[in-house]
Amino acid sequence: MENWAIGLEAVADPTVLLLIVAGVLIGIVVGALPGISATVGVAILLPFTFVMEPLQGMMLLLGIYGGAVYAGSIPAILVRAPGTPASAASVADGNALTRKGQAERALKISVLASCLGGIFGVIVLALMAPALASIALGFGPAAYFMLALLALTVVASVSEGRMVKGLISGVIGIGIAMIGLDTIQGFPRLTFGSADLTAGINYIPVMIGLFAVSEAFMQFESKAKLKLDVATEKFKASLKWLARISPSGLLGSVIGFIIGVIPGTGGDIGSFVAYNEAKRAARDKSKFGRGDERGLAAAEAAKNSGTAGAMVPMLTLGIPGDVTSAVLIGAITVHGLQPGPNLFSGAPDLVYGIFIGFLVVYLVLLILGWLGSGLWSKLIERVPSSYLWPSVIVLAVIGCYSLRSSAFDVLIMLISAVVGYVLAKAGFPLAPLIIGMILGPIAEAGFRRAMIIEGDLSWIFSPLPLVLLILTLLSVGFAIWREFAHHGSLSETIGMDNTVPPTGATPVVTADGPSGEQGAAGSVDSEKPAPSRSSGQSDS
Amino acid sequence: MTTTRRRCAAAALAAAFVLAGCSGGDDGEGAEADGGSGSFPSQPINLIVPYAAGGSADSTARQLAAVAQDTCGAPIIIRNATGGSGAVGFQATLSSPADGYTVGSASIELTMLDHMGISEIHPDDYEGILQYSEQPIVFGVPADSPYQSLQDVIDSDDRVTVATSGTGGIYHLGYESMALAAGIDDRTVNVPFDGAASALQAALGDQTAMVSVGAAEMRPHIESGAIRPLAIAGDPVDYLPEDVPTLHELGIDSETTAILGLYAPAGVPQDRIELLNECFNEARESDQFSDYMETTGLNQRYRDAQEFDQFMGEEYDRFGELIDEIGMGVH
Repeated sequence: MENWAIGLEAVADPTVLLLIVAGVLIGIVVGALPGISATVGVAILLPFTFVMEPLQGMMLLLGIYGGAVYAGSIPAILVRAPGTPASAASVADGNALTRKGQAERALKISVLASCLGGIFGVIVLALMAPALASIALGFGPAAYFMLALLALTVVASVSEGRMVKGLISGVIGIGIAMIGLDTIQGFPRLTFGSADLTAGINYIPVMIGLFAVSEAFMQFESKAKLKLDVATEKFKASLKWLARISPSGLLGSVIGFIIGVIPGTGGDIGSFVAYNEAKRAARDKSKFGRGDERGLAAAEAAKNSGTAGAMVPMLTLGIPGDVTSAVLIGAITVHGLQPGPNLFSGAPDLVYGIFIGFLVVYLVLLILGWLGSGLWSKLIERVPSSYLWPSVIVLAVIGCYSLRSSAFDVLIMLISAVVGYVLAKAGFPLAPLIIGMILGPIAEAGFRRAMIIEGDLSWIFSPLPLVLLILTLLSVGFAIWREFAHHGSLSETIGMDNTVPPTGATPVVTADGPSGEQGAAGSVDSEKPAPSRSSGQSDS
Repeated sequence: MTTTRRRCAAAALAAAFVLAGCSGGDDGEGAEADGGSGSFPSQPINLIVPYAAGGSADSTARQLAAVAQDTCGAPIIIRNATGGSGAVGFQATLSSPADGYTVGSASIELTMLDHMGISEIHPDDYEGILQYSEQPIVFGVPADSPYQSLQDVIDSDDRVTVATSGTGGIYHLGYESMALAAGIDDRTVNVPFDGAASALQAALGDQTAMVSVGAAEMRPHIESGAIRPLAIAGDPVDYLPEDVPTLHELGIDSETTAILGLYAPAGVPQDRIELLNECFNEARESDQFSDYMETTGLNQRYRDAQEFDQFMGEEYDRFGELIDEIGMGVH
């Protein structure tokens, strides 16, 4: 308790509080711009913290971290352009809500779930950090492989109703991730002697191209036919609404935190896994992927809860949980402090100041984000689409270039945009491609490292990998069962995929949707193919 | 009314666009040919870091640049061009105009990539400006390991897994060099991870028997008692326990150190190399930079332009042989 008092005293300083607010504001700007991630924002401002007190510097950087991870979802929800990879899981449901004219509602869910997820994560971090450190260490290569397999089953969930196309999309993603030097032997694969390909294809330009720019193409195409400006509904938060989204938010917070604790995985996959589990837990799944508030809440809560999770190995072991916390370590070491067990006894004011300060970060973010969400949704409402979409493309180009100062990344982004356009037209879900790109290398490296260490497959039967394997099998079994339950037989499902009506088909609006949503949802969905959905809805 | 609102919103978007521009597309001007005569430097200096933001190459370059802005009398613009074990950033530097306005952050990989067929970079392609850091590799084991010394490892018949930061990286080659010299290369297995932190994590979690990374990276884990250092592949470092032997003291003829420095593309006029050496060295000697190096545990080690060129040339030849010997060579 004494340590908490020391921490509280350290944070209750006007300078510290000012830095928190500044950090959160910078973070929101950094996160909302595609291609400029939380890591870049933190790294750029890191040198400025060298002249500050350790806690002051950490507060500025944690403000940026929390703010950027939250704000990545603003463009994801408004224009399908995830600002950071962790927000990719929020594109489907968040943007579907925007298209129904419920942008403000989606943004409010996003800010609430992000901040409550973050606060949940920080509390668990503060109470259990040393105990949780052993989880991070117990995670060997074999467990990484199995975790990646488990996370890959998310593909089945996000492509329900068009399973074959989803799997193809996932395999394409894994294939793209194989380009470049392989992670184990440094052997160049599929590089055709090109130096750019040898460096590998980063998934961020691919993500920006697939989601944001291909969407801009679609908008240009449909503009002639449709009036796109959907009237934005006013949104008032209610207790009933809060009760509806909190269970998924809590589930997302727990999952996001645990995955955040495991070094090197981080929020990028945590949000997808949380989305998947929220969908599995829901009784009525028909709206997932088309504007379900619960799916959005789970994904949003998971990504910010993961920021606190990533601090566990960083503070207790000196091992970064994700790339951003790797930079944060630098902010501590520069003051002559070493993260690790000794930090808790040696600098309690810093450690407990970080806990309390990180809580304050999320409270500040909640206030700023809540006030701001009305503003951001107006942005999308007021800017004519003839300005909006070209701006998205310009930002995408700049963001991709700034990532590695590489024109090649811009080319990759543009190619991905065309590929994304074609795939979406043909009814392929795009999220599995990104999931495959993120998880493929983790799975491959984990498997090969485990094989090098053990020399044979005996690692499968160690406790942690075995548990994860069983969960994976259950997850796959569940997906197969759902396909059968919905369509009678698997062959029918596959048959249906082949007879998907091309673009322009009028989809059936969900039977349980509020009547007010129908018109907007219908007009929006007609620009995008909604293959094989109709049978899925009849029994919902 | 509506029009005004629309304009405001458009302006907000434009503002966002400008912000992105500031953080992203900040090179270009420096590439313009310098007017000739006049005083050098008369325009901003670009510093290309071939590794991601936050690593030791990046953070030390940023620290050094912060002071060198004053000592060199020109703004220094840092950009990270990452990928391909540094190849992307090295090539970006080498293909820039040789006018002294583009310098690169050098690491030991500059001498290794050519031999592995990743990027054709020969010592003649660049001119050293200065070296500012040297960091020996340390071989460590988890605290509860049965090995009390490197001799125990050598004397045993065990298959020994060694966590490294990645195949072909300096920490991998440093351990291969040690294993060859000690005659245990047939029993040791490289387990490559993504960076030193992941390699250390594997050793801390008892996933591998040994870990081979730089002294500064291993330092916190040595101080917390989680990792026991067995040997140093270079000169002793003051913050490591005094009883940790160097490989030479153990009678193993191998020495591998990671370095950090600055270089420019070949063809930069000699007087500009000298000016850059002077002003960056002045920044290196500043209290601010020295303090930073001390707290992060990165050893300062200065080599001037000629010494640095010579060192890189020798390392290039040595790594050529080593990389061929361990079967990773392409020449």
